[in-house]
Amino acid sequence: MIAMAWPTDITVTDKGRILEVVYEDGDVIRLTAERLRVESPSAEVQGHGPGQKKLLVGKENVAIIGVDPIGNYAIKIAFDDGHDTGIYSWDYLRKLAN
Amino acid sequence: MAAREEVMAALKRVPGPDGRTPLPDSGAISGLTIRDGKVFLAILIDPAEARKMEPMRERAEAAIKALPGVAGAVVTLTAESARPVAVGPPAHGPPQRQDGRRSAAPIPGVKRIIAVASGKGGVGKSTVACNVAVALGRLGLKVGVLDADVYGPSMPKLFGLTARPQLAPDGQKLIPLESFGVRVMSIGFLIDEGAPVIWRGPMVMSALNQLLREVEWGELDALIVDMPPGTGDTQLTMAQSVPLSGAVIVSTPQDLALIDARRGIAMFNKVQVPIIGVVENMSYFLCPHCGGRTDIFSHAGARKEAESLGVPFLGEVPLDVAIRENSDNGRPVAATLPESADAGAFIEIARRVAETLKAGAPGAKPAPRIRII
Repeated sequence: MIAMAWPTDITVTDKGRILEVVYEDGDVIRLTAERLRVESPSAEVQGHGPGQKKLLVGKENVAIIGVDPIGNYAIKIAFDDGHDTGIYSWDYLRKLAN
Repeated sequence: MAAREEVMAALKRVPGPDGRTPLPDSGAISGLTIRDGKVFLAILIDPAEARKMEPMRERAEAAIKALPGVAGAVVTLTAESARPVAVGPPAHGPPQRQDGRRSAAPIPGVKRIIAVASGKGGVGKSTVACNVAVALGRLGLKVGVLDADVYGPSMPKLFGLTARPQLAPDGQKLIPLESFGVRVMSIGFLIDEGAPVIWRGPMVMSALNQLLREVEWGELDALIVDMPPGTGDTQLTMAQSVPLSGAVIVSTPQDLALIDARRGIAMFNKVQVPIIGVVENMSYFLCPHCGGRTDIFSHAGARKEAESLGVPFLGEVPLDVAIRENSDNGRPVAATLPESADAGAFIEIARRVAETLKAGAPGAKPAPRIRII
C-alpha cells in the first residue's frame, strides 16, 4: 500500500549547509540549505495558491540548525534565519533533488 | 530600470544587522521586488532590535534610491517569527530549540499509537474504538484510549465515566480515568456534558497535544485514538505530532459511507500511516422477534472495498440493539456481555489488531535516523 520513497538516514553536514538523504532503494540525494530554504514548502514561501510564491534572495549563507520528524512522512527543517515552518515530505525532498 | 543585480550590488555597501556583514551576504534580505521602477526590500531582523535597525533601514533605502532609474524605494524591517533571528555567520553545534514547540517525538511509555478513523460520521467509530480497546485489554494488553473528537467527545459516555481527572503528584500531568481495564482521557472529562466546544483549528491542535503529552499514560502496549470524522485539523495534527503505528478504518457497508472511508484511507496513505485494516460496522441486523436477517446498510461492502484497496479486512460487527443499549449505559459489550456474539466480534477484531501490532502493520517502516554532524 505504502510505496512512496522511504528514507533510512537523514544527515546534516558541512556546518548546516548540506542535507543528505539516503533512501531505502539506495538513492542518495544532497541538497543545499539554500535550495531547501528558498523552496520551502511553507505557505510563508509558497503562498496560498499558484502565482503567490515568494522569490527569496540572499540565502546563500543560510544554514540548517534543526531537523524534527513530522509523523511518519516528513521532516521540519529549522534554518538559522528563523524560518522553521516548512514541512518536507520524503517525496518532496526527492523531487527537489531531481 | 534597475535590475535585481544592481540593487544587490548597491546594498553591498550597507552593513547588515550585525553591523559588519554586507546586507546581501547577511542572509537577512527576505524579499526583493521591483515594480514600475519602484524597489521594495524586506530585511529580516530580531523584533527586539527594531529600533536599533532603523539606521540600517535608512541607509539601505538611500543606497537604492541613489541608483539610476529607480523611481522610489521602500525598505521594511520584518520579523518572520517571534524567535530571535540568527544573523551573521551560521550557528554551529547541535540544534537548539528555544521555542518549546514539540516535535513528533513518541510518548514515553506508550509502545504503539493506533488511530481509529472513518471518513464519515455516525458509522459507530467511537463504539468500535471503545470495544476494541476493551477487547485488547482482555487479550492481555495494557491499553489506553484518547478521545480526539474534541467537538463531540463520546468516550465519557461509552466508558460510563463522569469523574474529573486528578493532577499527578508532579502537579504537571493529568491522571487518566480507568474503566473496564482501559485508561481513558477525553476533553469531555474537563467540560460539562452538553457544553459545546466552539474552537477554531489552532485551539484543537493545542488541546490534542495536551491530551497526548500532558497525561500520565504510564506504560501502555497500545494507545487507541478515537478520531473525529473527516480529514481535517485533528487528523493532520495526529499524523504530524506522533508517529502513528497504524490506522483502523470503520465503515458501514453502504456506498455513501464507503466513499468517505476511501478518502480516510487515502489521507493516511499520504502521511504514510499504515492501514491496519477495515471494520464493517452495522454489517447486518438480526431481528430479535423473528430471527430473520436484514442487511439494512447492505452487506460486505467494506470487505469488498478493503479487498479492492489491498488493505486487510478485520471483521464485521452486527447492528444489534444490545450494543446500542449497553453503549448508552457506559457498559461496553466487549466487557459486560463477554460471551455474546457481539463481544466475540470485537474480540476477533482486537486479535487481528494485536497480531498486526506484533508483526508491524503492512508497509510500516522504521523511522529514518536523523543526525546533525
